[in-house]
Amino acid sequence: MAVKIDSDKCGHIENCPVQGLCIKLCEQGAIIEEDGDVKIVPENCDDCDLCIQNCPNQAISKA
Amino acid sequence: MFDIERGGAEHRKLTYSDKYCVGCGICTDVCPTSSLRLGPLVPIARGLIEMDLVSVNEDSCVFCGLCSVACPFNALSLLVNGSDIKNTGNYPVWDIECSVDDGDCIYCGKCSLVCPQDSIIFERNLPNPTDLVRGEIEIDEDYCIYCSFCADMCPAEAINITNVPVSSVDVLNNSIDVDLSKCIFCGVCRRICPENAIKQICSTCMHYEDIKIPEITGKTIISEKSCVSCSWCCEICPEDAITITKPFDGTLELTEVPQEDKICKGESCHACQDVCPCNAVTIVDNKSVNDLNFCNLCGACVTACPQDIRVLSRNSMKLNNINSESWNEILNNLVGK
Repeated sequence: MAVKIDSDKCGHIENCPVQGLCIKLCEQGAIIEEDGDVKIVPENCDDCDLCIQNCPNQAISKA
Repeated sequence: MFDIERGGAEHRKLTYSDKYCVGCGICTDVCPTSSLRLGPLVPIARGLIEMDLVSVNEDSCVFCGLCSVACPFNALSLLVNGSDIKNTGNYPVWDIECSVDDGDCIYCGKCSLVCPQDSIIFERNLPNPTDLVRGEIEIDEDYCIYCSFCADMCPAEAINITNVPVSSVDVLNNSIDVDLSKCIFCGVCRRICPENAIKQICSTCMHYEDIKIPEITGKTIISEKSCVSCSWCCEICPEDAITITKPFDGTLELTEVPQEDKICKGESCHACQDVCPCNAVTIVDNKSVNDLNFCNLCGACVTACPQDIRVLSRNSMKLNNINSESWNEILNNLVGK
């Protein structure tokens, strides 16, 4: 099922208060940095929802 | 850490120490003005964000002190004219205990090793091994060839040998020495010596009655301030020398709802394990397992669980001396929820 990121709300690493907290929290490699932005790798997502719960911008939701 | 204060007829000061805070959220639950806020538990526990677990809105705080008496972990204090309200006898107090019976403690130190908060100060004075043995040892350097068999095999590492030439003018550079503060007269050196250069006698058995075993002294102290009442020390103590009273009685269960895809993701998430101040949570077969023996029912894991499938039921609490009806109502919401 994976997750999706609302591009308008997302801090895109640079403006994220923790410079990509979701990337740092996800131990499945389902959220990665690509070209300075956040990218979802759906096949790695385990639906643990840690990223959804902890995103400081509430930019992540269920896909 | 924060310190906020208000002047007026009485001087009131609310202090918060992140050092003792476990992130349970009890203070935020009871605050009548919603002035306290719990930070992101998992990122803080994992060291991804450096900030205090709890923050305060200084403008809305009314300095009532309810948060400070509700905190079972000594993270908050309200001082009125310099005195902590918890010490005045008029406010609610937690009737919880963490103590070590000095008479029963044998100073094994296991409690201090398992304490997840490093709250146990432990020291002991063991006797010198040589106080417990008797014997004699002598090396005859007329026979010794400094082969180092004895030194290499000595279990007490009591024999020092030099046998490497340092220059052409000191080709031998040989010496052998037994450190009597280490030798236990076991006889390994004598038996391995190829030249029969060592004389050793153990008379420990002969003097068995005369050798007094020194008393092992020490101290084991649980810091009341930082103890989180997990009971690890109490459970592990082989002498039942420790008493721990937990702040709450109750249960904490994992209640998965597969229809709504609310399932514990175990190793992928382990948020509960990371925030637990008690080391009570283990991931077994990719599911979170909480051992109530070690759990203090603080509820930090409940807040941290992104699946929202942890159900905490507190049946009773050890918070006594609640004299105000309105405080009683608020504080009793901590149990039975």
